[in-house]
Amino acid sequence: MPWTTEITHPFASALHVRRHRLHNGLGLVVLADAGAPIVSYQTWYAVGSRHESPGQTGMAHLFEHLMFGQTRTRPAGEFDRTIERTGGDSNAATWVDWTYYRDSVPARDLALVIALESDRMVNLALEPAVLEAEREVVANERMQRVDDEVEGFADEELSRLAYTIHPYGWPTIGWMEDIRSMGMADVQRFYETYYAPNNATLVVVGDVDEVRLLELVERHYGDIGPAELPAEKRVVEPAQESERRRRFAKPTPAPRLLRGYRAVDQAHADWPALSFVASLLSSGPSSRLHRRLVIEREISLGADCDVGPQRDPGLFRIATQLTREHQAEEAEAEIDAVLADLAERRVDDAELEKVRSVVETDYWGELEGVDGRAEALGHYQTTLGDFRKLFEVAERLSQVTAEDVQRAVRTYLIAERRCSILIDPEGDDGGGVRDDDPSDDGDDGHAAARDDQ
Amino acid sequence: MSARFHFAPAVGTPLCWFSAATRVGAALDPVGREGMTRHVAELARRGAGGLDRAALDSAIDCLGASIEVEVDRDWLSVTATCLERHLDRTVELAASVLADPLLERGEHEMLLRESLHELDDVRDDDASLADRHFHRVCSPGHPYARTALGTQESLARIELAPLADYHASLWAPEHMVVGVAGPMTVARAETVADRVRAAVAGRTGARPPALDVPPFPPGRRIILVDKPKRTQCQVLLGHLAPVYGPGDFVALMPLETAFGGLFSSRLMQEIRVARGWSYGAGCRMSKARAPHWFRMWMAPTADHAADALALTLSLYDKLAAGGLDADEFQLAIHHLTGALPFASATARQRMRLALRHDLLDLPEDFPAQLPALLAALTVDDVREAAGRWLRPRDLCIVMVASADEMVPRLERAGSPPSEIVAYDSY
Repeated sequence: MPWTTEITHPFASALHVRRHRLHNGLGLVVLADAGAPIVSYQTWYAVGSRHESPGQTGMAHLFEHLMFGQTRTRPAGEFDRTIERTGGDSNAATWVDWTYYRDSVPARDLALVIALESDRMVNLALEPAVLEAEREVVANERMQRVDDEVEGFADEELSRLAYTIHPYGWPTIGWMEDIRSMGMADVQRFYETYYAPNNATLVVVGDVDEVRLLELVERHYGDIGPAELPAEKRVVEPAQESERRRRFAKPTPAPRLLRGYRAVDQAHADWPALSFVASLLSSGPSSRLHRRLVIEREISLGADCDVGPQRDPGLFRIATQLTREHQAEEAEAEIDAVLADLAERRVDDAELEKVRSVVETDYWGELEGVDGRAEALGHYQTTLGDFRKLFEVAERLSQVTAEDVQRAVRTYLIAERRCSILIDPEGDDGGGVRDDDPSDDGDDGHAAARDDQ
Repeated sequence: MSARFHFAPAVGTPLCWFSAATRVGAALDPVGREGMTRHVAELARRGAGGLDRAALDSAIDCLGASIEVEVDRDWLSVTATCLERHLDRTVELAASVLADPLLERGEHEMLLRESLHELDDVRDDDASLADRHFHRVCSPGHPYARTALGTQESLARIELAPLADYHASLWAPEHMVVGVAGPMTVARAETVADRVRAAVAGRTGARPPALDVPPFPPGRRIILVDKPKRTQCQVLLGHLAPVYGPGDFVALMPLETAFGGLFSSRLMQEIRVARGWSYGAGCRMSKARAPHWFRMWMAPTADHAADALALTLSLYDKLAAGGLDADEFQLAIHHLTGALPFASATARQRMRLALRHDLLDLPEDFPAQLPALLAALTVDDVREAAGRWLRPRDLCIVMVASADEMVPRLERAGSPPSEIVAYDSY
């Protein structure tokens, strides 16, 4: 048998998720659900911007664009035309730990999409003219998402400040000078190194016959040989000893504040507690930060908190956009007061129960459609090595206690672990950048790059 | 007259969705008080059923639920999402927002301030800014040209006193549609709808606005929205399109798809794939109760903006003159019919789809009729509809860019702007 069935796990009412592995190392995670005559077919490659090197930042993302080009068996444009003719659509996303390709197609066209995806896993025909055109597209994307977009700019600067040596410090979309300088040989080498069955997991969710799916995947991918994957360099970011701050002036009507606290990786025992704290602070209009900043003090338009779902330690982010009469420092004082209260006083049972309900609703909201389910399964399988972590994290979130919250706040949400980006509206002086902390020597940053082609 | 009702059962999820919508939206705003419908709908969410804002927020959040207000020019909705075990209490709270809002002065004043800050937010985002100005200038005098958010001046004119009567007139059974989706029986869903119907029973509704469409201004107009230090230029081009429904709208759907609705469409291939001038380029017809906009869009760098605009105009000229070729037409028809299951794959989507078509006065089964309507089309039908609606000589063009860089480029290209407005002027 070419397949090994590794895991079966229940999902919702009477459904099951199964993970199989083909003899060449290709993983396959399947959730068969005949609720609608459609399929989400996703190919997750365990390569992201963390696998790049300084000078070649943005490679994983630029390469993702090139994957929609011609192959040795199909001319340029045929991939998209074929998918679109079915009524479906395709897209892709690159982030720090992964790159994935999504095809949403009618269930009857499953065989077609398997043929297309297996073809471009091994037969991509890279051409200099295509590289040049896509380089321009990516440069445009960067201008749109970072250079002309204050929020994207602040995200990038936060990571540059927080990570001094870890690859999470540079942007997934890459620095502009690196995007401009990448060569054909570089992208060809990247393809040959990382695009192989033993570095990929197919995630298939929807109206599929699992037996037929296994047959089709084996037929189309079975002859593709595994690659010799490079040993991954393990980079450990040095401990941060004091707060880091940077301040910028941008052409924007109102100030912004973005904070990042050095946190933990998603497999860490404290990750659920930090995720719970993020919901407690900013999910829903009665959440603590929203209430304080937006309603009681009227100094912000909103507050947004999250903790990075990453393989290596990510950041606990707090972002807020102030109203034009107020300064970032006012938001800082209010946030500090809210965090101090959380550190000092135990959260009561009613608030804990409220956040549990919010988290449960959010969890099911993300799993509403076939694409969302496939994305969640693919993320956990690729980032943490096991799709079942999706269910484990949900379980652990439902068990977070008041003590867990207090300990997470006291341990992680402290000044010594903090980086802050402050954005001021540009005045007549033309703006610029100022380091609030002269000890800062960070020179990299990251920002998620999600494509809609 | 009783509110109409749509239900979509769900399996495999504990989530329920409930939506109450009314056929009057921001186009009903009194002249000079643009933003009033949105304001009163949002204000009702900030205190109702005897609970002030903090208590109502807390009551909703404690259920892990959300109750959101959405305002379109044609309609207004209050939509709740919750776990099935919290459905009854969530519906009770949502019904109080429709039927028993507090409309407190302090919240009224705070919301007016917030709306001004949201204007700042719109101006901060170049795509939103282009959209706001396109609505303003595309077809002056059209009911959809009015801003749903309001302006600094119109928001200042909204007073608290008339808001209670205005709110009651929005939520009257004759204009309402109720949708429910989730893991429940139709009988339970009916109970939910009945709770909402009971809350607003006996009310008389506001008269829906007249949707008279004025003549479209002749000629090409370029409105440059001047914003400093832009590396890119957000561009929207368009004019009036047919009303959503059977007829010319359906006949133009293949054209919309093949020209700018897909990655393989003409605009995307010429602007992005062949030249790398913009991250994206496309076109879209808006679905509304009256003729709305046909819009093309792209975001080229300042360096390429004039060339990208010239190329787009040339492609559009060719489209208007020749329509689609047979291959493009066939691909578009296949795509449009094959895509229908994706729009109704989940219970929430099915409920929302039925609700929206009801609000636009279309039959509930209109989406189901579409495959037959599309299959009956010929490439000549599309060309004839294009001849009736595409207006390459009468176009509104909005560009968000830095005027000091863009004006000389446009002048050199022979397309100087007809109007330059500051980005924070509207």
